[in-house]
Order: sequence, then structure tokens, then C-alpha cells
Amino acid sequence: MSRHWLVLAPAGAFLAAALALFVIDAVDRDSTNPTVLSAVATAGGVVAAAASAVLLLSNAATLPAELFGGQLVVDGTSLIFTFIFGSVTALVSLASLDYTRGLPFRAEYYLLVTLAATGMSLMASANSLAVVFVALELSSLPSYALVAYLKHNRGSVEAALKYFLVGALSSSILLYGISLVYAATGSLLFADVASAAGEAAATYPGVLGVGILLVLGGVAFKTASVPFHFWAPAAYEGAPAPVAAFLSSASKAAGFVVAFRVFVVAFPIDAVANPSTYAVDWVLAFTVLAVLTMTIGNFAAATQEEVKRMLAYSSIGHAGYVLMGLAALTGVGGVDAESTALGASMLHLLVYGFMNTGAFLFIALGEHWELGRTFEAYNGLAEDAPVACVAMTVFMFSLAGLPVGGGFLSKYFLVVGAIGAGVWWLGAVLAVNSALSLFYYSRVVKAMWIEAPADDREIEGYPPALYAAIVTAAVVTVLLLPGLAVFDGAAFDAAAALL
Amino acid sequence: MVTVAGIYAYAPAIAALPLASFLVALFAGRWLPKKGALAGILATGGSLVLSAVTLVELVLTGEGYDERLYTFVAPAETFDLGFGVLIDPLSAAMLVIVSLIAFLVHVFSLGYMNDEGEPGLPRYYAGLGLFSFSMLAFVFASNLLMAFVFFELVGLCSWLLIGHWYREAAPPSAAKKAFLVTRFGDYFFLVGLVGVLATFGTARFAGEGGFPAVAEHALAGETTVNTFGFAPETWFAVLGLLVLGGALGKSAQFPLHTWLPDAMEGPTPVSALIHAATMVAAGVFLLARMYGFYALLPTVLAIIAFTGGFTALFAATMAVVKDEIKQVLAYSTISQYGYMMLALGAGGYVAAFFHLTTHAVFKALLFLGAGSVIVAMHHEEDMWLMGGLKEEMRVTYLTFVAGSLALAGIFPFAGFWSKDEVLFETLVHGLGANPLLLGGYLLGLSAVFVTGFYTLRMVMLTFHGDPRTDAAADPHGVGWNVKFPLAVLGVLATVGGYLNPAPLAKLTGAEVDFLHRYLDGPASEELLTSAHHYGDLTHKWAGYTAGSVAGSESATMLAGAGLSLALALAGAGTAFVLYRGPDPDRHTEGLGDLRTVLVSNYYQDEYQVWLAEGLTLRAATAADTFDQGVIDGAVDTVSSVSLFSGDRLRRLQTGVVTNYAALIALSVLLGLAAFAVVGGWL
Repeated sequence: MSRHWLVLAPAGAFLAAALALFVIDAVDRDSTNPTVLSAVATAGGVVAAAASAVLLLSNAATLPAELFGGQLVVDGTSLIFTFIFGSVTALVSLASLDYTRGLPFRAEYYLLVTLAATGMSLMASANSLAVVFVALELSSLPSYALVAYLKHNRGSVEAALKYFLVGALSSSILLYGISLVYAATGSLLFADVASAAGEAAATYPGVLGVGILLVLGGVAFKTASVPFHFWAPAAYEGAPAPVAAFLSSASKAAGFVVAFRVFVVAFPIDAVANPSTYAVDWVLAFTVLAVLTMTIGNFAAATQEEVKRMLAYSSIGHAGYVLMGLAALTGVGGVDAESTALGASMLHLLVYGFMNTGAFLFIALGEHWELGRTFEAYNGLAEDAPVACVAMTVFMFSLAGLPVGGGFLSKYFLVVGAIGAGVWWLGAVLAVNSALSLFYYSRVVKAMWIEAPADDREIEGYPPALYAAIVTAAVVTVLLLPGLAVFDGAAFDAAAALL
Repeated sequence: MVTVAGIYAYAPAIAALPLASFLVALFAGRWLPKKGALAGILATGGSLVLSAVTLVELVLTGEGYDERLYTFVAPAETFDLGFGVLIDPLSAAMLVIVSLIAFLVHVFSLGYMNDEGEPGLPRYYAGLGLFSFSMLAFVFASNLLMAFVFFELVGLCSWLLIGHWYREAAPPSAAKKAFLVTRFGDYFFLVGLVGVLATFGTARFAGEGGFPAVAEHALAGETTVNTFGFAPETWFAVLGLLVLGGALGKSAQFPLHTWLPDAMEGPTPVSALIHAATMVAAGVFLLARMYGFYALLPTVLAIIAFTGGFTALFAATMAVVKDEIKQVLAYSTISQYGYMMLALGAGGYVAAFFHLTTHAVFKALLFLGAGSVIVAMHHEEDMWLMGGLKEEMRVTYLTFVAGSLALAGIFPFAGFWSKDEVLFETLVHGLGANPLLLGGYLLGLSAVFVTGFYTLRMVMLTFHGDPRTDAAADPHGVGWNVKFPLAVLGVLATVGGYLNPAPLAKLTGAEVDFLHRYLDGPASEELLTSAHHYGDLTHKWAGYTAGSVAGSESATMLAGAGLSLALALAGAGTAFVLYRGPDPDRHTEGLGDLRTVLVSNYYQDEYQVWLAEGLTLRAATAADTFDQGVIDGAVDTVSSVSLFSGDRLRRLQTGVVTNYAALIALSVLLGLAAFAVVGGWL
């Protein structure tokens, strides 16, 4: 059995980091060295990511491994996602060293980050609806507090409150959905729900159907999908930029891993949307959600005047791309096409974890320099900060899906998966949206490289940790173009294992 | 005992070494003693040794090598996209040629560039390194995709190097022209590449899985491929012609030859590299590389043969009236590559590669010789301002004459043997069952006379007679780094023909046609790239059979060789008579209007400029108007609609959290209602 505990090493790393931060803060409250705090949190993230990668690529563990009577499961999917959480946590914690310099409650800040990451890693491994809910709250509650971290800043507090209120509403929707599912199937464990789903769909189609749709609503909140996206622009804009990076990359991915596992494993589409036992066709629901989310996200992003807000909406658009993985489970293309689509979603989240985190960290750099929020504020920045601007250019173009970074390949796989699953038009919608996104992403690039700089800008120093995080994210983004080959097999296998 | 794969596993290093020298010259060149030249010499020298070892290994073991290095998309999925190494007799020999010429050009550059104190040396050596790398990787490319990538890189490098002296007016313009004209051909190549992938799903050259083999099976009806509704013959011919477009551009064949004479604006060692072994050779090599495909397509073969024969004569006539030594050489290059095309089109795979080999040697020699003369003449290129250099520059003179006689095709120099074989193959296949090829043969044969004439004219004007200027009377000496490459190439140009003296082999029955045996060797057997396999293919699919004059192969051969030698001697003799003596006259004046036409290069540039400005620009302007008005109008409308609706969407984001809650609740209810209706819960 001891071998089983080993597979929880990624979650354990987050938890250990959180506890270590508790201890450090308790022992030495006043003179706490910020470098130590940041290092502990970063190390937690790096260890979690490394442990996930090792477990994933070495086949050291016998997967899937179920723990606590099947409440938790560790498999390829959960490891891919803990890798994402680990790397995002590490990047954000590293960058926060410079961002939070001089601010109070730094220990609490890192603590909340690592606790939220712990919750996310549990979400990745959750194998029952109860664990899903608890883990989701464990990741959400620290997030609310993190958004409000700048507690004397009106925007930060207001954003946190909105985030919290919408979050509370969504949690209640999710909880109600879970209770209905339990009522219809008599179980919370995914495997048992799945085996009972067919009969439940035949007996209580309404109860199960409403339950499934409400669960979908809860998941849509976490992934910031339309129409549960309203909190996202406000929260990302008001939050400290590293926190926005954390929420838009890691927290979103956590929502998706729950979506993948709950819907694919617990609500098998054959059982719940069978002509004879029809409760709800959640693939159709996800299709609608995917189209709405990517279109509304991108269209809204195109009209923003502020870079951070643009990124917030673009992050909604990307959620729409990822939803295609679920929308492609039409049963038309067979297991190959479906595992390609679902695996492509995971890969996109993986690449996104680096390119989007990097982009928000670049905004953090802008906030550190107090450049201002609009596109114009970044005019001619390339003269003062060429390295950071090259990195940002990589992020922007990779987000748009140009072949400078891994974003190109993951979108390519998404389209291939969609075509294979017979929903080629979803691929076309993605292509149109990507083309639109190139417009607003290149506005940033144009501002940085082409526009004339503002006269009175003064850059005071180059924060080393923030730079290190940005450059690391950029290098990984570029390396993932050829390097996605390392992960694609694992992702497709993980997706196939879910299906 | 090193295993076969052991040696071949180092094949990528043949290209990687010059890449390393590129990086060294680029980033550290300015601090190095020779500005990167030594790194380049070491790297290309290393490539030469490695290529030679590879060649020896291939000959000794008789085993080829076709290995995938990197996969973009695995064959099991839609397309087989990847990079790989293909070592067969053709590529192994070409690797040796390319690395040899690249090595000698690097050495020569020490004298031509470093000793003359030219600016931008690190950039120059970086360009040479990248150029060598691209060409070597192109040569061992195992599939058409990789070949295309490096084909394009070769084009990019030529742009960098031709435009080396970018502060002057002409070089940047010439570089642009070379880039654009070859790119025009490459468009067709790119479309052809996509077509090949879409048709066969693979772009591999060799083996049963390669696209030439698949194409053959498809023609034989043993397998089916997607031919987009055409008959396989027609569709394959279209693909062949598209890829041929790229080859015509790079190998400067009519009508895409116009970039090459202008490319003389680059440094002379670069011209040597471009003409002898890299860029221009790439086109012909590409056709030879996928000859298994072309051999199936009689129409395309005929087009290749005719284009080649025509270009051979056409370019040669223009060389007759040129006054600058490098211009003469430029047109001779176009003409000689025409011969190679003619050979390929006429089913003479071995002959084409043989001529490619000898040409690489003697053309590199002639360019380096011309470079030596230009250095001696203080960068004067007009032959009428030279004269009498033979006394002062013995090494240059002797080697240059060897190269010239090879170019003119005079027995027993290298060019005689290879050109004779080209013409012989064309003749016998023409006599066999394809009288059309006889037309190509006549064009090629006429070009022999012209070649002899302009070659000797060049030699006479440059080296003989009295010095016509002070610079010519007192040339500036050249160092060992110029003489060494000249000497090596001079020897090769003299004896290189014995690589494949096919006539001797046929007459005496001795097995001395080494190149033929080599290209037909066991290493090519499994890869389906052997000469006899290609012979079978042209026979079966294009109906090529050998015919003869008076029923005897020997008689045909002797008659053909005698005829071409007589014509070459007649051309050379005419030039000798006309331009002998201490102070030769400008006889070309006597040509009258014809001379104007020739000096104007048959108005090729003019009509292409007209095509560009009169036709394309006008069409482009019209298209632009259409684009601005209709397309942009539509796009603008779409984008205004997008921005407008985006703006509306933004207004949904009121900032009031109760609105959000209401919207969420409403959406959930709507969703529930919709699914309730669909699901029939109600």
C-alpha cells in the first residue's frame, strides 16, 4: 500500500509547502524573509510538477491508482493537471517575490496560493462528487482572499466580493446539482454513478437531467465559461496580476479536469443520452457552451482598451477552445478521434499554463513599473525592456496560435480532433475566432515594437525574479512547439483511459 | 569493425559541421584571427572527410541508408511529415562534391576576401557556412518536404551572399532578383509538394514506401491513390511539372535563367559555390533525386529534354558577345545545366550526374581562376582590358586553360567525356523510338560549337595577346590560398573524365565506366534508386529504347563523339583564329543587329520586367482596387459588426454583481427549459 501513497506526492508537495509556510509564519512573524517564503512556495510547485512528470513519463506507478476507497484516483489525467498546477504555482510564486515586495501579509499570500494549489490537485484526483465539491471549495476560498490581497485597493476588494458572490451562487448550483444526481443514482462515487446512470435516466430523466445540467453550471463557473464568466474579467482586472495569472491558468485548468472526469466518467454519454434512456445530451450542452464561450470571449476581447482586461476575455475565449474537447465526444469518430480531441484539450491547457501565465506576469511587470493599463501605455516598451517584450511577443503569438510556440500545435490537435469527431464546423469556428484573436493580440505587439514610446516613462530597475519567471515561461512556450511530442502521447493515452 | 549504421549515423554531422561554423562566424567571427574563415575551412574539411568516409563505406559494404531522424507527423496519421537521411550512391557522391567545392571555396576566400581586406567578413563566412549546411542537408534529404525546406534555405543564403556588398547599388538588386525569380519557381514546387503529399501521403524518395514507387504501382493499377479525378498519368505529370518549376528556377533554365547573370554581383568565390555545387546544382539534383518519378512520365521527360537542349544553345549564344569574364562564365553555367537537363529528359541519369560532377569541378575551377584574374587586375572584369596575363600568372593560366578545354568539351579533358555521354544518350534514345529527342540532340550539338567558340574567346582575350592596360601588364600576385584550390581543381578537370569513360568501356569491353557501375551499385538496389532501375522505368513507361546508326552501337558512339569533338574543335578553332595575335579586334561588332539582340540577352529581362510592371503590376493594382473596395469592404463590415457586437457584449458586463447573478440564473433556467423540451422531461 505504501506505493500508493507515493502517487499523491504532487498534492503532498503543495500541502507540505503550505504547512511549511504556516510554520515559518508562526515562528517568525515579523522579520520573515520574503525570499524564503517565495522559495518555499516555488519549491512546492517545482516538486509537484517534477513528481507529476516523473510519475507520468516513467510509468513508475501502476496507474490508475485508487485511494481512500475510491474517493481519490491518480491517473494520467490527474498527473498532467498536477503538472500544470505545479508549474503555474512555481512561476507565480517566483514572480510574486518582486510583485509583493514591500507589501504586508506576504506569508499569507504564499500560503493561500499553495493551499489553492492543493485544492486544485485534489480536484484533479477527485473520484467522487463529494470530493469534487470539497476540493473545489478548498481551491476557491483561498482564491477569493487572494483577489482581495491588495486590501486597501478598492478595485481589488470589489473584484473579490463579486468573485465571491458569483462563486457562492455557482457553488450552490453545483451542490444542488450534486444532490439531484445523488437522488437519481444513489451514489456519489463516479464509478457507481456511471453504472446507475442508465437506469436513472430511464426512471427519473428529469431529476438526473437537471442534476447533470446544474453540475455543468458549477463547472462552468470554475472554468469561466459563458454565461458563468461574469466574475472573470472583474476578478482578473482587480486582482494582483500574479494572482490573475494563477486564476486564469491553474484555476481554470482545475475546473476543466473536474469537467473531463465528471462528465466522461460519471455521466457516460451512451447511458444518459441514449434514445431509450434519455436524460440530457451534455455533449450538445458543451457544444453550445464552447461556441458561445469562444465567440463571446474573443469578441469582447477585441473591443477592450486595457491589456489586462483583454487578456481576461481572451482567457474566456481559450476556455471555449478547451471545451471543444468535450463537445467532440459525439461518438461519430470512434475512440481515436475522441481521445485526440480530449487529449488536445489537456495539451492546450498545458501550453496555456505557460503562455497565459507568462502574459499575465508581463502585466505584473507593467504594474510593477506603473506603466498604466491601456494598450498605449505599452507603446515603445521594446526599447526599454527588449527581453520582456520578446517574451510577451512569444506569448501573444502563441496564444493566437501562430507557430512560434506550443499554442499552435495544441490548436492544431483540437481542430484535428474536431474534424475526426465529425464536428468540423467547430474547428472552423475555432479558426475564425483565432483569426480575430490575432487582431487584438497583435495590438499589444504593435504597441510594444512599432509605436513611438511615451516621453516621460522611467523604468526603475529590472525585477530579477519576475524576469526569471517571464523568461522561463517564454522559453517553455517556445520549447513546447517541438517538445509537445513529449506530452502528446501521455495526453492522448490519458484521454483514452478516461473514455 | 564499425557497423554500417555506425558510420552512417554520423551522416547528419556532414551538414552540422558547417552549421557550427556558421554559428561560430556569426557570433564570434569578429574576434577570430581570420574572421571565421578557419572555422569554415575546418568544418567543410571535416564534412569532406566524413563524406569521403561515407562514400567509401557505401562502396565497400554495398548498403544504403534511409533513416528517419525527426517526425513531425507520423506516417500512420494523415501525412508522413519528417526529416531523415538518405544515403545512396547519388547522395553520397554529391556530398563529396559539395563538401569538396565548399572546402576549396573557403580556402580561396582567404585570398579573395581576407587578403583584399573586404568588409563584413564574419557575415560572409557565416553565409558560406549556412549555404554549405543547407546544400548538404538538401543532398541527404530523405523526402521531398525536407528537400523543399533546405532548397528554400539555399535560396535564402544565395540572397545573403549575392548581396554581400550591400552598400553598392547593384548587388542588393541582383540578390533580390535571384531571390524573387527562384522563388517564383519555388511556388510551383511548393504546390507540387503539397500535391505529392495529398496524393501519396508520403514524400519519401526511396524504397518501396517512397512516392516514386507508389506512383509506379498506381500507374500499373496495383494500387490506387487520390488523383483528384484525373487519370493517374495526367495527374502525375501535373505534379512532375510543378516540382520541375522549382528546379527550373534554381538551375536557371529558360525562362527562369535571368537571375543568374546578375548574380555575378556577388563575391567571386560565392559565384563559384553557387554555380559549381550548391544553388544551381540543387535543381538538377532534385530531378535526379526523384528520377524514379520522372522516369514514369514521358511528357514531362520530353519537356525537360527540350527545355534543357534549348537552354544549352540559347545561353551559349549569349555568352559569345559578353565582354566581362564572369558574364561569359555565367551564361556558360546556364548552358551546361541545360545539358544536364537534356540528359535527364533523355533518360541519361548517369550521364546527367556525370556531367554535374565534371561541371562542378571545371566550373569551380573557372570561377576561382576568374577570381584570381580579377584580384590580379585590381577588380577589373572586362576582358578587353586584360590580355597577356599568361606570362605573369602561370598557375592561373594553366589551370584556367584546363578548365576551359573541359568546358569546351575537348578530348581528353573531363567535360569531353561527360558532354559526349549526354549527347550519346540523347542520340540513341532519339534514334530508338523517340524522334522528338533528336530535336533536343540537335540543339545540344549546335551548342557544342558555340561553347567551343566563346570559351576560347575568353581564354584568348584574357591571357593571350599583349596587355591592353597597365593593370594587365603588371598584375598583382596571388598567394598559395588561391593557387592551391586552382591546382587541385585543375588536376581534377584534366583527369575527371576517366571517372566514367563510357566510350572506352564500350569499345574495349573493359569495365572502366566506374561512375555507372557505382550508381548502379548494390547500395541503390533496395532503395530503388539504381541506374538500371531507372533505365527499366524509362523503357517501360516512357518507351525509351536504344537505337543506333548503321545498326552498330560502337559506330553510333564513334560518330556521335567524333561529331561533337569536331564541332567543339571547330568552335574553338574559329575563336582562336579570330582573336589571335597581339591585339585582337572586336569581331562581334560584325554581327550587326544580331549582336544587339545577343547583348540584350534576347530581351529576356525586358519582357520579364514588362510582365512584372506592365502586366502583373496592373493586374495587382486592379486586384488591389478590388481588394480595397470589395474584400476589405466586406472585412471592414465584418469587423465593424464584430466590434459593434463586442461592444454590446461589453455592456452585458455592467459591473453590478446582482445583474450577473440574475443573468446566470436566467441562463441556467433557459438551459434547463431547452433541455427539458429536448429531453421530453415535461
